[in-house]
Amino acid sequence: MRKWTLALISATMVMGLAACGSSNDNKEQNSANTGNQAAGNNAAAANAGDSTNSSSTESVKLRIYAQYADEDTKGPYDYAVAELKKAMPNVELELDVQAQDDGQKLKTYAATGNLPDIFQAGLDIISTFKKSGNILELDKYADDFKAKIQPSAMNTLVTDDGHIYAFPYAGNEVAMLFYNKELFAANNVKVPTTYDEMMAAVNAFNAKGITPLALFAKEKWPTVALYDMFASRNDPAGITKLDKGEAKASDPEYKTAAEEIVKLVKAGMLPKGATNLNYDQAAALFHEGKAAMFLNGQWEIDASTKALGEKLGYMYVPAADAAAYESSKLTFSGGGGPGGYAVNPQTKDPELAAKVAAFISLKYAEFKFTQRGTPMVATKVDAPVVNKFPPVMEQLSKDIPSMKTTAFSWGLSNPKFKAAIEDAAQSLMTGGYSPDDFVSDVDAAISSK
Amino acid sequence: MRKYLGNKTAILLFILPALLLYTVVVFYPVVQVFYRSLFDWDGLSEAKFIALDNYKRLFHDHVFFTSLYNSAVFAVIIAIVQITIGTLLAFAVSEAAMRGRKFVRITVFIPVVLSITVVCQLWLAMYNGEYGLINKLFEAVGLSYRQDWLTDRHTAIFALAAVNAWQYMGYHFALLLAGVKSIPESYMEAARIDGASKMKAHLRITMPMLAETYKFCLILAFTGGLNAFANMYIMTSGGPGTTTYTLTYMMFRSAFRVGEFGYGSASAAFLVIECLIVTLIINKLIARDPIVY
Repeated sequence: MRKWTLALISATMVMGLAACGSSNDNKEQNSANTGNQAAGNNAAAANAGDSTNSSSTESVKLRIYAQYADEDTKGPYDYAVAELKKAMPNVELELDVQAQDDGQKLKTYAATGNLPDIFQAGLDIISTFKKSGNILELDKYADDFKAKIQPSAMNTLVTDDGHIYAFPYAGNEVAMLFYNKELFAANNVKVPTTYDEMMAAVNAFNAKGITPLALFAKEKWPTVALYDMFASRNDPAGITKLDKGEAKASDPEYKTAAEEIVKLVKAGMLPKGATNLNYDQAAALFHEGKAAMFLNGQWEIDASTKALGEKLGYMYVPAADAAAYESSKLTFSGGGGPGGYAVNPQTKDPELAAKVAAFISLKYAEFKFTQRGTPMVATKVDAPVVNKFPPVMEQLSKDIPSMKTTAFSWGLSNPKFKAAIEDAAQSLMTGGYSPDDFVSDVDAAISSK
Repeated sequence: MRKYLGNKTAILLFILPALLLYTVVVFYPVVQVFYRSLFDWDGLSEAKFIALDNYKRLFHDHVFFTSLYNSAVFAVIIAIVQITIGTLLAFAVSEAAMRGRKFVRITVFIPVVLSITVVCQLWLAMYNGEYGLINKLFEAVGLSYRQDWLTDRHTAIFALAAVNAWQYMGYHFALLLAGVKSIPESYMEAARIDGASKMKAHLRITMPMLAETYKFCLILAFTGGLNAFANMYIMTSGGPGTTTYTLTYMMFRSAFRVGEFGYGSASAAFLVIECLIVTLIINKLIARDPIVY
């Protein structure tokens, strides 16, 4: 019996070693991918296996990984596909719906050699895929697209290394502080321009049983945006300086921002359980007139205009004093970064895939500009506007030429810092987390870069 | 029997499918976790061997200690609540005189078969700071004990543990009830004849005879608690901040949010060792020969 037990243990160990050994194969596969030479293991190639090159009129099927979850994401996709059918009738797109999962599904596709021909990529994906050779450099396919990009949105096309990896459609979008004009007027509250006035507004609304600021802090990015709004009153670079390691959270400009937020949160600026509030719950508070202010990106304008109409306004972020307010009011939290539709280097016909990716991005921008009433798109749009801009968007479009931006949390380049600032900023919204804790947690992430 | 045990080929043949499955599904991934924990690796690019650096970093990372503490708190709470209430219910339901035994048996077990997502959504609504049932109950009885159950940095992990304890209590109850029922009636009869009360009989006879079942329940509750992930992921996303992180959640964050698969593997490897140690301790503490009736 002992002999058999030994034999079984040996068999298990042999299999274990085989398991370890196979990792070398993975490594080889990865390095092959890096060299853009992996042959035969890529499903994208198989997908396009029956395709011909772009000059042919034979039908071509391309797999695309795109957002398609709600009205906001289905609209531009359907529009772009319909336009593609007119312009390139031989190209058929097979949609793989993008998961809201921080790119996990896409990274798994890349790791298993199953990357779609065209996929949406943000800065995080671009940086990771660049290293592993899973994203096509689009410089030689981008001449036409470059001619159509808005000069102010060039930062969304070209990455820090000077190359193009994705065709953008979103311009420099920003986070905004919306407010309900009627609630402010009815309760005799001044739209705050300084921290003291903000505190006065918080106290006044609380006294009337109105939530001062609705924040969907279950998602971490709005909490980072709120911190960035306060930090960028003191330093126009906001969190981007921390991201690049050019500043520390212990620097007075950044620590003060955390202190001001804690004071306001302790005074009751946010609704009960804000860190467990999702968008629908927070938006409902604002849209139903139960909250006086609301933080979201400028894409909220459409929904809030429908709910509040003329009552909707946006305010510049309050600062320490009037002078600081005036000098920083056109600094908006957010901004764009490289991202958009990217191409798998293993696709059968890279030129065609790049052409389709660029076309889709252009049509996304066209749809958003003409039908969604947003001027913040990456490319120039010649088509006539179908739905005119809401009044708040008209007002914002006047600010755009002189606007300065920082970054959204998803546009940060250091993933360790991104995770740390997201966690720390969310903790700030509880009121039970001190500015010193914030400083130490964020600085630890900056120094471990 | 001897004939079967004598045929070594037959033994190998019968064991091989299970052994292969175990190797592929359990052994291979565990070996990979330990192996990958020695690398600086983003999951896609070529990995760089860094020996034990990930482990050294782990012991200087405050998120690791928060996760470790939360895992321990979570495991202890669910083990105590599930096994204590499970035992009391099992004793009650095993009493022939108790009315509504079937009803209790079914209702206590229902949460076990519910999807964890459904249970979490249900409790999210109950914990809501503004309109949640729990705060309303306090209000109804005239107590001004309104809490932000899931957003308070100090209570959130306890609130999550309560959800898990409630959901899987029925599982432990079922195991313990099966154990109670397998004890021959004659032992209890003998105790009764000797004048022992119900309470005393359970304490002196039933519970010691359930030692093997308790061992199993404790291992399940502790390893389940140390591995906890779904409740945090669905109900708080690990927040506020990092206050409801567990080691599994930390591994998820490191691998998928930060893109450090090597570091994530190091925390997973630590978790595997931690679970093994806990299992060994429980086995050691409740070590006894199986009782044969």
